[in-house]
Amino acid sequence: MAWFGKNRGTDDEAGRAMAQYRQNAWAYALAHKQLPDFVEARLKDAAAAKIPWMSTMQPAELLLAKSHGIRPLATVTGTCWFHYGYSWTDGHVDGWGAAVDRLKREALAVGANAVVDVQMRTVQSKDGRSMDFTLFGTAVKVDGLPPSRDPVIATISALEFVRLLEMGIVVCGISVGTDYNFLDFASGYGNGFGGGSTGGIFGSGPAYQVQQQLRAFGGNVPITELTNFWESIRRKAHAQLRANAKRIGNGVLARTHFGELLRVERDKQPPDYLGRHIVIGTVIETRRGDGIPHHIATVIDMRDELSPLNGGSTGSRNTLDSNNEYSGGI
Amino acid sequence: MSDINDIPAHALERMKGLRGAANPEGIFTSDFSVNEFLLVRKAGFEPIGLCVGSCIYHLGFQMAGWNTNQEMTTLSQAMYEARELAMSRMRTEAADMGADGIVGVRLTVKRMEWDAKVLEFVAIGTGIVHAAGHEGYKGPQGQPFTSDLSGQDFWTLLQAGYRPLEMVMGSCVYHVAHQGVLKSMGNIGQNVELTNFSQALYDAREIAMERMQNEASAAGAEGVVGVDLHEGSHNWAPHIIEFFAIGTAVIPISTELDPSTIPDPQLVLSVNS
Repeated sequence: MAWFGKNRGTDDEAGRAMAQYRQNAWAYALAHKQLPDFVEARLKDAAAAKIPWMSTMQPAELLLAKSHGIRPLATVTGTCWFHYGYSWTDGHVDGWGAAVDRLKREALAVGANAVVDVQMRTVQSKDGRSMDFTLFGTAVKVDGLPPSRDPVIATISALEFVRLLEMGIVVCGISVGTDYNFLDFASGYGNGFGGGSTGGIFGSGPAYQVQQQLRAFGGNVPITELTNFWESIRRKAHAQLRANAKRIGNGVLARTHFGELLRVERDKQPPDYLGRHIVIGTVIETRRGDGIPHHIATVIDMRDELSPLNGGSTGSRNTLDSNNEYSGGI
Repeated sequence: MSDINDIPAHALERMKGLRGAANPEGIFTSDFSVNEFLLVRKAGFEPIGLCVGSCIYHLGFQMAGWNTNQEMTTLSQAMYEARELAMSRMRTEAADMGADGIVGVRLTVKRMEWDAKVLEFVAIGTGIVHAAGHEGYKGPQGQPFTSDLSGQDFWTLLQAGYRPLEMVMGSCVYHVAHQGVLKSMGNIGQNVELTNFSQALYDAREIAMERMQNEASAAGAEGVVGVDLHEGSHNWAPHIIEFFAIGTAVIPISTELDPSTIPDPQLVLSVNS
């Protein structure tokens, strides 16, 4: 009967008022980069162990965390439904950035040192003009450490997190790098790539050369200008990944890559090209040249079916599509 | 049981929000998983940066006789040259950042939706250096070595007393002859081998493997590990097939290890399935 005590529905007058109050509180909190008072209260209670802790950890992870003095506190989340005003590609940086900020706000409220097992989820809207960026994970506290002013965000399982901590490697955040650009006839390489073209359909700019190389009937030819254009986009995305990561750590494990090169047909004129690239990685901080203290034994599993040793990895949980990686065999 | 002492002090400092001053070298990027990172480190190497090379390529045109088995040399060359361009750009990036080699190289081919004759080739991997500055791990001509081995396989290869030299590959695009109408009629109701098909596949695969092997010899390798043979048709006519052989050429580290010094893998049976 406890359900009817605290978890009342919204059918009666008081319930509707409560629902309205909560909605207003969320609107205010998101606008002012705060948490609603009821969330704040719940997280405070969780921090003081007045209510049960809540964790995405599996029992094996709980075991390892406990043995290293790490306690789960609460499941914390951050969400940002983001509308792309001018760029789908760059929206990923801002969308994930906002979600991370909000996740940290909850982690801060619960007095955590870290958020582990952080999973990245996305929901695409039907119209394609906006998208949801959601993060959730388990806020944890290390025995003997004061609450952190800037809790680290670890997109790996609690098991991995503890294993890495032991080796002096701290998984501390998410970094996103993006870039997009147009290769068109009017402006050469859109936003200032290369030397630009002389413009016009009969010019000798990069887009004109692409057109010439594509026409080469019967000949094998690398399409150099398009390749250079495409590589410059990827380089810029990687440079941004690096720059964003540098603010939180000194290494990136980037398992998620997405890129596409689209052709935009135009009436009675040669086509434009749109290239975009997104790369997402887990940021770590570690001392260079630190060894791995554990001995590694080589084993061969004698199980015929899938076993914990040869099936599935718990390493990366990023979910973004990666059509570069799976777009076909070699 | 709570044993905070297992965690190194500098890791705890970072958790408190303090950035270590221990990293003047700056930042590395990689596409490693956590376990790959650990094993590359265990092998005595440090990642320094993602290396990417790509090539967008326009494939030439070639006629093939309807009823002949023949190599489509124009396409073979195209598929090889485009991959080689992507790989060499990746290698240049690695050399520029001072890498000893690249591990975990993935080589992909992507069709462009907007033009059937245009393919995009991408090579991506993580540049690594020996943590103690050992120079002996570079590839041929002092260039960074390349390898499609994962971090895990890289560690295991070193344990076996070998080091990677170069990713080697061979490509052969082949046109398989159509059968004549009379021959097809003759086969109706019979179980027979289509020998012209068998021969064509044999020939094409053989050519691809020979080319790969030649590359390995040129690199001065003792052998090639992880050989994979791909058969693919990149949106070509139905009787045109590419055979692509790829692997990592390896050489013993200084002198070959005495096999008795390599630990036997332990056999285990996991019971927590």
